[in-house]
Amino acid sequence: MRDTLSRRQFLTRTGTVVLVGSAVSTVGPLPSWGAAAAKVGEAAPAFTATSTTGAPVSLGSYKGKIVVLEWTNHECPYVRKHYETGNMQTLQKDVTGQGVVWLTLISSAKGEQGYVSATQADELTATRKASPTAVLLDEKGVVGHLYGATNTPHMYIIDKAGTLVYAGAIDDRPTTRKADVQGANNYVRVALEAVAAGQPVKTSVTRAYGCTVKYS
Amino acid sequence: MTGLAGAAGAPTRVDLPQSGPPRVSLTLISDVAAIEPGSTIWVGLRQRIAPGWHTYWTNPGDSGEPLSIEWSLPAGLTAGPIIWPRPERLAVGPFVSYGYTSEVVLLTQIMAPPSLPVGTPVTLRGQASWLVCEKICIPEEAPVELTLPVAAGTPVAAPTAPAIEQARRAVPTPSPWTTTLRTSPEAVTISVAARGLAADRIEEAWFLPMRWGVIDHAAPQALTIDRHGLILRTAPGLLSPGAEGHVDGVLLIRERLDQGPVTQAFVVRAGLDGPGGTSLSGGSPTLPTALGLALLGGLILNLMPCVLPVLSIKAIALVDHGQASPRATRRHGYAYTAGVLISFAVLAGTLIALRAGGAEIGWGFQLQSPLVVTALAYVLFALALSLSGILVIGARLVGVGQGLASKSGYAGSFFTGALATVAATPCTAPFMGVAVGFALTQSPLVALIVFEALALGLALPFLALSLVPAWRRFLPRPGPWMERLRQVLAIPLYASVAWLVWVVSRQSGPEGAALVVAGLLLIGLAAWLHHGNLARRRRAVTALALGCIAAAIALSPLVAASASSTAAAAPRGVRWEPFTPERLAELRARGTPVFINATAAWCITCLVNERVALHSPAVAEAFAKKGVVYLKADWTSKSPKIAALLESFGRSGVPLYVVYGNGAAGEPRVLPQILSERTLIEAVESF
Repeated sequence: MRDTLSRRQFLTRTGTVVLVGSAVSTVGPLPSWGAAAAKVGEAAPAFTATSTTGAPVSLGSYKGKIVVLEWTNHECPYVRKHYETGNMQTLQKDVTGQGVVWLTLISSAKGEQGYVSATQADELTATRKASPTAVLLDEKGVVGHLYGATNTPHMYIIDKAGTLVYAGAIDDRPTTRKADVQGANNYVRVALEAVAAGQPVKTSVTRAYGCTVKYS
Repeated sequence: MTGLAGAAGAPTRVDLPQSGPPRVSLTLISDVAAIEPGSTIWVGLRQRIAPGWHTYWTNPGDSGEPLSIEWSLPAGLTAGPIIWPRPERLAVGPFVSYGYTSEVVLLTQIMAPPSLPVGTPVTLRGQASWLVCEKICIPEEAPVELTLPVAAGTPVAAPTAPAIEQARRAVPTPSPWTTTLRTSPEAVTISVAARGLAADRIEEAWFLPMRWGVIDHAAPQALTIDRHGLILRTAPGLLSPGAEGHVDGVLLIRERLDQGPVTQAFVVRAGLDGPGGTSLSGGSPTLPTALGLALLGGLILNLMPCVLPVLSIKAIALVDHGQASPRATRRHGYAYTAGVLISFAVLAGTLIALRAGGAEIGWGFQLQSPLVVTALAYVLFALALSLSGILVIGARLVGVGQGLASKSGYAGSFFTGALATVAATPCTAPFMGVAVGFALTQSPLVALIVFEALALGLALPFLALSLVPAWRRFLPRPGPWMERLRQVLAIPLYASVAWLVWVVSRQSGPEGAALVVAGLLLIGLAAWLHHGNLARRRRAVTALALGCIAAAIALSPLVAASASSTAAAAPRGVRWEPFTPERLAELRARGTPVFINATAAWCITCLVNERVALHSPAVAEAFAKKGVVYLKADWTSKSPKIAALLESFGRSGVPLYVVYGNGAAGEPRVLPQILSERTLIEAVESF
């Protein structure tokens, strides 16, 4: 009877597929938090946010340049792993030295972990010897939601044409162990090298790991 | 930095990794009090988690990190991977994580070598690290260790064995249902072919993928339950499913039971449908494609071992009577085609009507009845005998001989068409499957059209030969080769019969198969009697031959009957018999221990209990040791007798598990609705 059974299974499966197909086509897209997010391969959504100097910074003003977005929360153990080992600062220094724009974003809401005032943010930059182009304060989470930033750190790369070419983790070791920085595959560095060389980014979407962004 | 956060007036609950008491206390526990050389034991990493905090599953969801452990085991001992109990879906702000709250036991198997010296205790050590989160997250780590004596013989259970048992019970069980996953840019649809689920029993269902990226973890999952099963629709993640062709995950189903809701977890491997699983058009053909495939499938059917001989007889007849008038030949072609089309319409109509009535059947459903399979075996066997030259009934039935030229032969041609259809049903030609699968999801009219296209494909070769005289010139001249070909063509028919006997043996067991073979023997005997009687035509012999055929026919219901008894006794785990109040009373009067399982096909918890507990060899052994009789009360189609049983225990639904101990006076004991191997064995061993 095996033959008959497997045929039957095949048929019901085919049947279900067709049924489901018709069901999907009649229902519109589901409302989803992530679906509103920026998509790799498409134009990066434009935004304007206030930097720690009080000046508005808009993505549009960096047209023609490669832009890195870094979501951060200085109290998050995963962020600390990359700052206390100097991993993040080294990457910032290396790439900004090559003309890449580095925007650090803080989307923690007031009262939540990682929320800082402009002064505190600048102090953090100084004490940690970080070298971002600018630190943007996004306490209402507008830019965070626009990009679907879920974690800290959460990294994005926008190419010279304004296309989002990378979204995800900083590297392939989703831990808080500082020892893991050594020998990790730094997705952002690899992607930036590809973009600079005018090549497509091979690993363009990864699971961002870290703490959740502390939105309000 | 701490000072900085303080200066900002940040809430005091902001903890840094180095400060504060641990949020999780971790201990290593085992299911046995001692380890036996050469055995495999279960150990568990028991996390007791502070209220409000959670730890993570293997796929943590939107953020988080699962526990990892580095074992340092004594030489020779090895540890397996972590086995994860089913997680909860935890909403944290706008995100969703998969993890655990309060307490969880992460399981691992430890394998001890046979060479382990008895008497020297072993210490299992490991360094575990994990992340624990409330709103904020803290990485924690701790060493664990457990010392166990090494002893020969079956070890006794440790005091922590129930915790391990409970954790094992919470590990997702393999899903009995075929699951498919379809992605489009707008939605991910997970279809679980769990037929007959009762929608009102299911409170909620969630699909949790093993890997990040397939679905948007935070998006709602819309649940639909219909007669085909369960469908979850949700938003896609950022990655399209990999090239593996499937997505692994866990299906959580919350079922409403008499004593409150219960969550069951299943491991599912969802096959992707369509090429690459991402294209919407890949899965289902359009109507013209389906018609084309059906026609092609029908044509190919002509070459199938069960159909080819039937067709060849017709073709030979054409050769033999090449001199017949073209008009008569054409009419035979039409009659044959009509036979095929009409019998297909009857068969397809029955199928469509049955499906409309809710029956979950597909093409070839006829073969699911042992009665039909037996009848087919008889017919094909008679046909094969006729081709071998032992039986001369073919004259009219298959239109061999002078019948072709005569008017009465048209009926013969019609019935050849019908016969070809019947013979074709066991054979599924390539391309047919897709077309039939398509047809069955369409309106009855469209379905019928597709089936008729299939029928036309089957009829086409003979129709073409009969309509276009020029093509008949390609047929070889008549000669003695025809007799030989006829005999050769009997072989595939005998093969088909052999296959059908095998089908019956699968449906009705060896008894059923034996009955069919006996029936075939009677038909052979009848054929031989008839053959020898052709010249003399003695009535007694004719009567005897007919008697043989009648006896063969009389056997076929017995085949079907043996089918049901075989199915009932099908041993999977513990052997059982159907519940009746009379049988229970009889067993109780004798003082025989009884276990009653009131279950139903649509009861998910029943299914899980049967898979994880009832079907285990250890339970079978315990039942056998105590001589427990297992009565199964199947409540799938609600019977008053089982309703009365449930009521007598104050229940209105299934599952219900009851044990009666030794002695006629023994009071029944109701077991929990969530069964474990241990509960069952302990209940039985307490007699």
